[in-house]
Amino acid sequence: MSEPSWIGGPEWLEMAKGLRNERWQLADLCGLDGRDLGFDHRFEAVIQLVNYETKERRTIHVRAEGEPPSVPSVAEIWPTANFMEREAYDLFGIEFEGHPNLTRILMPDEWEGHPLRKDYGVGKVAVEFIPQPFIQVDAPGQSPGSTESKVQVDALGQAKPNGSEPS
Amino acid sequence: MGGVSDAIGANFMTAQLDKLVNWARKSSLWPATFGLACCAIEMMATTMPRHDLARFGMEAFRASPRQADLMIVAGRVSQKMAPVLRQIYDQMTEPKWVISMGACASSGGIFNNYALVQGVDQIVPVDIYVPGCPPRPEMLMDGIMLLHQKIMRGEYDARRVTA
Amino acid sequence: MTTTPEMIVSRFEEAGHGAFVEKYNETEGHMTINMGPVHPATHGVLRLLLELDGERVVDCQPIIGYLHTGMEKECEDQNWRGAVTIVTRMDYLAQFFNEQVYSLAVEKLLGLEVPARGRYIRTMIAEINRISSHLVWFGTQALDMGAMSGMFYGFREREVIVDFFEMVTGLRMNNGYFIPGGVWEDLPDGWQEAVRVIVEMMPRRLDEYEALLSENPIFLERTEGVGAISADDALAMGATGPILRATGVSVDIRRDRPYDAYGDMEFGVPTRTEGDVYARYAVRMIEMRESVKIIQQCLDNMPAGDYKNMDPKLIPPPRAELNRSMEAVIHHFKLVTQGYTVPAGEHYQAVESPRGELGCYVVSDGGSSPYRCHMRDPSFVNLQSLPVMVRGGLIADLIASIASVDPVLGGVDR
Repeated sequence: MSEPSWIGGPEWLEMAKGLRNERWQLADLCGLDGRDLGFDHRFEAVIQLVNYETKERRTIHVRAEGEPPSVPSVAEIWPTANFMEREAYDLFGIEFEGHPNLTRILMPDEWEGHPLRKDYGVGKVAVEFIPQPFIQVDAPGQSPGSTESKVQVDALGQAKPNGSEPS
Repeated sequence: MGGVSDAIGANFMTAQLDKLVNWARKSSLWPATFGLACCAIEMMATTMPRHDLARFGMEAFRASPRQADLMIVAGRVSQKMAPVLRQIYDQMTEPKWVISMGACASSGGIFNNYALVQGVDQIVPVDIYVPGCPPRPEMLMDGIMLLHQKIMRGEYDARRVTA
Repeated sequence: MTTTPEMIVSRFEEAGHGAFVEKYNETEGHMTINMGPVHPATHGVLRLLLELDGERVVDCQPIIGYLHTGMEKECEDQNWRGAVTIVTRMDYLAQFFNEQVYSLAVEKLLGLEVPARGRYIRTMIAEINRISSHLVWFGTQALDMGAMSGMFYGFREREVIVDFFEMVTGLRMNNGYFIPGGVWEDLPDGWQEAVRVIVEMMPRRLDEYEALLSENPIFLERTEGVGAISADDALAMGATGPILRATGVSVDIRRDRPYDAYGDMEFGVPTRTEGDVYARYAVRMIEMRESVKIIQQCLDNMPAGDYKNMDPKLIPPPRAELNRSMEAVIHHFKLVTQGYTVPAGEHYQAVESPRGELGCYVVSDGGSSPYRCHMRDPSFVNLQSLPVMVRGGLIADLIASIASVDPVLGGVDR
């Protein structure tokens, strides 16, 4: 990836105040785990700004340093950052210093781990076919109320020939 | 057999009465509004003029689970939603049925990951699974008609009887 | 982590009852009540924690995440083309916009050109989708205001549009039709007639809706001056789309930064100044009429030629070619089994979805699947403006405000 230019946390807070006064709006803020991208740091916040008057857009990368990784919150400057920072905290574990209510937003409160980190697995579970005890369905064309001549099916829902033993 | 013979005891033949009760039950199911995701839009489309679910006597979706006896789980069930779903189900009055609408509710669908419950049958007993992503309104109606047949036969899910 | 039924039940017992109980604050006389996540007026699984002083809303806190599907993680597990099937399920009422924004972002990274016909098809389908999305909003807004027939009308027309989607893509929803490089298949025979039906039907039906609601005293009573938000507040809360335009700020990405074929189109960007529920209603109604204009222009000027970029290393060859050319079969096999790689880089692309700015931030590490695919969904951001709208209002007005924000929870939680 072509190296973007990063700024540090305190620098970002100063910059944000200036940008707010120039009527830049916060369009998006999201986390990024750069583990496999070969940067010096691992976590960063990626900020998209938009200026509705000049119709310009710009992208800012802010390094999240320390353990846990942290970035100053801009929720005071742009209130819309509130949800976005909570989302980045929830999914990446990036702490936003000075955020009014930094809690999980998408995952349940008691969830452990931050799902979008690269060392957090997708969480696939093997697809199991659990044998069902015994299912009876109607034969094709049979009237709904009829109780006779039901077709027997095996665990995978395949019809068995008549007369075989039920499993 | 169904609930009537339990109430009267074993001294009477109630087969035909059961049939009448089952017929009444299947002819006027009261679904709970339990729309979650994309399938909810198709569920709404099923009740709307083109497909007109009123033909099956079930166009009135009840907002309160206390007034409903059919839960159509329409959409993906997340880990965060699972306890809520169970709570809604527990509040519904017996006898009650569950239709798992769509691939996500039935098996997790294309989303096999940390956030989704892989099949709503892990939480509540399911009577009918309707496949599709999302199922067409016709498929949901077919599922409802299969449920009607099931109710007419007076079948109850084994898990529910033991619970 | 696998979930067992016991875990779910125990979590329910621990968290369930405590979290949903209602509280009464004796000193201030305020009542805290819970609304949702299963509530007929919250449009899905939105949950609101309301602090009430009698009938008046003192504070409102949206709680989301009940439909979190882990789609951003799921995208990282797919190849570049497969991720289209994931993103289309995010905002399920505006499915084509999700595909469009993702495709545009990936095309930018690839440096891939889309032929003119492909761009026009995308523009046309997206605008038809905008109408169908607004029709669902119209139906639910009317229903929540007590006008049940609005719901019937909205869905009646939506079925016609959905039939057209089915004709083109084979599916009613979650289509996966736009791919990086164009669209999957060319438009089928007879598409002009189907589009013409929509173009001729919609203005008449919109007149019908307006006759039903626009001057209806009950509807006016419940919407005018209700849920108002000022332009400054809307900007501060990051609201976009009809909410922002209803406050008088004329912002439309289609016009300001044209993508696909919007540069060739003529259309108006409606604005109102009141910022209340009625203003948002009026803006959306005019938007549907403007969409009809764009569809008409696409219908009249649809260019001939390729509907997708025919670079065989990136785009699967058309189906008919597989019967003729061995090379096409090899390319098809390679693309389906391995996919293609995208040069390392990052891009943020924004489009104007029915709900506002839909953004897609894509990062590639040079591999065959997205390294990061973040969607900036307008419903997620717009939902933050809801507390500002409803503070000080009545509970009944809260219902009107939720409907006018038009959140799609699939997009909010992703």
